[in-house]
Amino acid sequence: MTGARMLRLGGRICRDVLVWAAIGLISFPLVWMVLTSLKPRIETNGYPPSFLPSSLTLVHYYDLLFRTGFGQLFVNSLFVSLTSTLVAVLFGIAGAYGLVRFRFAARGLMARLVLFAYLLPAVVLLVPLYVIVASIGLNGSLWGLVITDTTFALPFALWLLRAFVAALPPDIEAAAAIDGAGRFAILFEIVIPQALPGILATAVFTFIMAYNEYLYALVFINADQSMTLPPGVLRLVKESYDIDWNLMMAAAVVITMPILLLFALVQRHFGQGLGAGSVKG
Amino acid sequence: MTLATRNAAFGYLLMAPSVLFFVILIAYPLGQTLVISLYHMSTLTRTGEFIGAANYTALLQSGEFWNAFGNTLIWTVGCLALQLGLGVAFALILHGKLFLRPIARALVLFPYLLSTVVAVLVWQWLFNDLYGYLNYLAEEYGVVDGPINWLGQSPNAMISVIVVAAWKQFPFVTIAVLARLQGIPKALYDAAKIDGANAWSRFWDITVPQLKPVLAMVIILRTIWDFKEFDLIFMMTGGGPRSSTETLPLLVYKEVFPKLSMGSGAAIAMIMLAIMLVFFWIYAGQYDREESARTR
Repeated sequence: MTGARMLRLGGRICRDVLVWAAIGLISFPLVWMVLTSLKPRIETNGYPPSFLPSSLTLVHYYDLLFRTGFGQLFVNSLFVSLTSTLVAVLFGIAGAYGLVRFRFAARGLMARLVLFAYLLPAVVLLVPLYVIVASIGLNGSLWGLVITDTTFALPFALWLLRAFVAALPPDIEAAAAIDGAGRFAILFEIVIPQALPGILATAVFTFIMAYNEYLYALVFINADQSMTLPPGVLRLVKESYDIDWNLMMAAAVVITMPILLLFALVQRHFGQGLGAGSVKG
Repeated sequence: MTLATRNAAFGYLLMAPSVLFFVILIAYPLGQTLVISLYHMSTLTRTGEFIGAANYTALLQSGEFWNAFGNTLIWTVGCLALQLGLGVAFALILHGKLFLRPIARALVLFPYLLSTVVAVLVWQWLFNDLYGYLNYLAEEYGVVDGPINWLGQSPNAMISVIVVAAWKQFPFVTIAVLARLQGIPKALYDAAKIDGANAWSRFWDITVPQLKPVLAMVIILRTIWDFKEFDLIFMMTGGGPRSSTETLPLLVYKEVFPKLSMGSGAAIAMIMLAIMLVFFWIYAGQYDREESARTR
């Protein structure tokens, strides 16, 4: 190996080490979360705090799942986010296909309204939604939360799906129409199968959005047994006199698990999804 | 019936469920917010008297509103600056050659997907005054004598929440910029190399101009999203200490629920909507320009 090549290699290694140190810094809070959740309590509340636990324990996970109301919160969160995702994606597929492929009056305006609704601050709708949910008697119910969460899930899903459907080549649909395929047949047998990766990615991102929702759950739900995770877990913190940080970090890890799984599933579509079809250049 | 009108009819049919939902749960509530903002109304009874613009004039004369307005400005600008810096830097880093790059990308992008509640729990634990790791490090390495009160005093609290928000949101900038970087034709760089341009001038003359449109989009979008952020600030500090992190969305919540003054809360929401509409208008214009540039 020549001197120049070795110098270049050395430079690259230095660069990579520095970059990975920066990445380590960004990931540190998450590493600390996992480490704390596996540490015996005595090591957490001592000075100096240990970095790596001297012994690993799953007791905090056991306590979390069997000694607190966490399990119920988890189930509630899954119910609300799955249901509103289902509604948003079903309405969204039909709406996006209609918006992209059919020419009708106010089409441009509709697309603009979808974008507007997607960017609308949740607090702007908070007051009237509170009135509406209360007046149909769904105050405090998980179904009420499904309705309010769909106010942001549907515009988001529509906006994403619109980009995915627009990216499909229209020729196959046209050919099928000439062969005499009905409109619904074209939608179900050509458009949906072709857009399936996009639909899955949309479903995942919509789910994560609903799963993370906090404000509406905070306002519309009072009873512990119908709380979702974000406000529910914080209530666990506030109720305890002495915050059990090991338990809280175990909760943080468990809350993150579904997101991690789904993220692994659609990582390839990550860029498209997060850009929400809106950040292209 | 002609094919065109049949087409239109089927288009309407497909749109119908979404349109219905939009009208009942977005358009109607928006109108309601405007109406309620003109009433003196209690959150409990949901009845009240029409008082015209009195809620608005009262707000514009209240120190609380202007405090929240100023905080929103600091918050939005602070978040945006940090996110852009971190986001662009990591995009450039992750675009180049790197050991285990796919894992590096996944790790950098992950905070964006986290539940806000998880980010808040983790950072509150790091900020903890007794056992928190940040204070341990600061004291151990002699930066400070006593524990730093990260969230309990001003201006620490605002700085801390901005840092947490930037940590959580910067990957959005990274993803958008990274996608654009990958789309820049390599031929541009090769041609510049042949013309004798060095790495620095290649960056300024090719990369930066190519990134401008995507940066414009990202800045407007992040401004809209940071401007309306409620969850992170509310969970982190609740607006405190002494309203030093109380932004407009938190003030809406405070008026409507703890203070039970629905009309006043709706008025703040309407003012937020007006501000947001300006950014939406800019964004929509930029979006159309991009769209027509792409299809040309």
